[in-house]
Amino acid sequence: MDTSFSDYFSFELMWSRIPHLIQKIPITLELAGLAFLVSLFVGLLIAVIRYKKVKILSPIATGFLSLMRGTPMLIQLYVAYYGIPAILRIFNSWGANIDVDIIPKMVYAFLALGLYQAAFTSETFRAALESVDKGEIEAGSAMGMTYGQILRRIIVPEAMGNALPGICNSVIGLVKGTSLASTCGIIEITYQNQILAGRDYRYLEGYVALAIIYWIITIILEKIFKLVEKKFKIPEQPKPVKEAKHGNP
Amino acid sequence: MAILELTNIHKRFRDNVVLDGIDLKVEKGDIIGIVGPSGTGKSTLLRSINLLEKPEEGKLKFDDIEITLPVRSKSKKTVNELRKRIGMVFQKFYLFEHKTALENVMEGLITVQKKSKEEARKIALEELDHVGLWAWQNHYPKHLSGGQQQRVAIARTLAMRPDIILLDEPTSALDPELVTEVLTTIKAIAEQGYTMLLVSHEMDFIQKISTRVLFLDGGKIIEDGSPAEVFNHPKSERAREFFEKMYRLKEPEFII
Repeated sequence: MDTSFSDYFSFELMWSRIPHLIQKIPITLELAGLAFLVSLFVGLLIAVIRYKKVKILSPIATGFLSLMRGTPMLIQLYVAYYGIPAILRIFNSWGANIDVDIIPKMVYAFLALGLYQAAFTSETFRAALESVDKGEIEAGSAMGMTYGQILRRIIVPEAMGNALPGICNSVIGLVKGTSLASTCGIIEITYQNQILAGRDYRYLEGYVALAIIYWIITIILEKIFKLVEKKFKIPEQPKPVKEAKHGNP
Repeated sequence: MAILELTNIHKRFRDNVVLDGIDLKVEKGDIIGIVGPSGTGKSTLLRSINLLEKPEEGKLKFDDIEITLPVRSKSKKTVNELRKRIGMVFQKFYLFEHKTALENVMEGLITVQKKSKEEARKIALEELDHVGLWAWQNHYPKHLSGGQQQRVAIARTLAMRPDIILLDEPTSALDPELVTEVLTTIKAIAEQGYTMLLVSHEMDFIQKISTRVLFLDGGKIIEDGSPAEVFNHPKSERAREFFEKMYRLKEPEFII
């Protein structure tokens, strides 16, 4: 019997899948974007709590990190997917009146993804915060700056440069992590592929097409972050002084 | 009237008593050199004045600000008021690494004194000019030598127009070559009539610029007088021994 390569893998089919998958990129990016915001906010909060060794909150944060790092993201997604409605129903049984079904699946997914990533982002932030010389903080307080001002004007901007590579990894991790959200019934690019492949049972072409799409998104994100990093980096060469001194050359 | 008055300041780190009942009155225009062996509380004394260290006991009076120690958390504001008017120069400069020399000097003017950007820039450029670093305004700390960084730090302190300047071993982290440029800058400030407290191991320099010298040992001020009195006719055995060792370094057998 004659077999050809195209019986196992058709490039034509793979290319034809890509436009259908691209349609759902906005969903993937929206999910990753919202999860990223959650991870930034929660990550920064946890980092500051642990950096400042805030009483009571600090051990709670440490416990949260351990839990997030010690359980698979897929399981966390399922727990959020089934758990959040369950909790809301309990509230309802106590007299609250929340329509559980009105909450979009998206919310469970980006919360779960965001909290998972926050555990890693927070460590990036904490390392970056700790990279700022304590002496600079002291110099700030010695001139009468409040701790808030020091945090805003000295610590965070300086730490940002060090945190960016880690944040970039975080974003890439999130984009890839959104593929798991397909299990919660969100039609992003991975789920879209399963729907399409379900019609003709050509899974391989679809998955290869998906891999290419994820890869390209990742490369673009890396390029963007490189540009941002450059902005935060202290330049190798100082800028020349433009104006003349006191009007004299 | 004294501009700064410390009464019975006590500070300990765990079981180690670092300041053991310090009484000190500083008059406006005083240039006070603080000398003594290592670990006798010189830096701690300086850092207690702007409360970077928090003594457990005593009283601190600066102009119209009075703080009874230990500092309570509700007097945070008062502590900040005090710090706004007392400048400090550190051993390791502690410039803000992500800011240029100019931005370093402008920072306090903008955030603490709420000056406009233009005004802050004008003052900062003047101060950088005074320390001879006008042309280095766009350099980041990592582009500058230790001596230049310390001069930027001095400009940063002076720009705030403090009533008192505290200098904590400003030259001991520098290469010997760079010490002179920083000492020259400090001398120029002293001549402008600033009130200064200077901790240093540069004995000759202290002897030259101070109006008054303190010798600390074991957390206590054991000598207090004019440079001539303290250096040439110390009353205590400990100070005499200390200066003798210092001067012996200059004797011929040490010069190989």
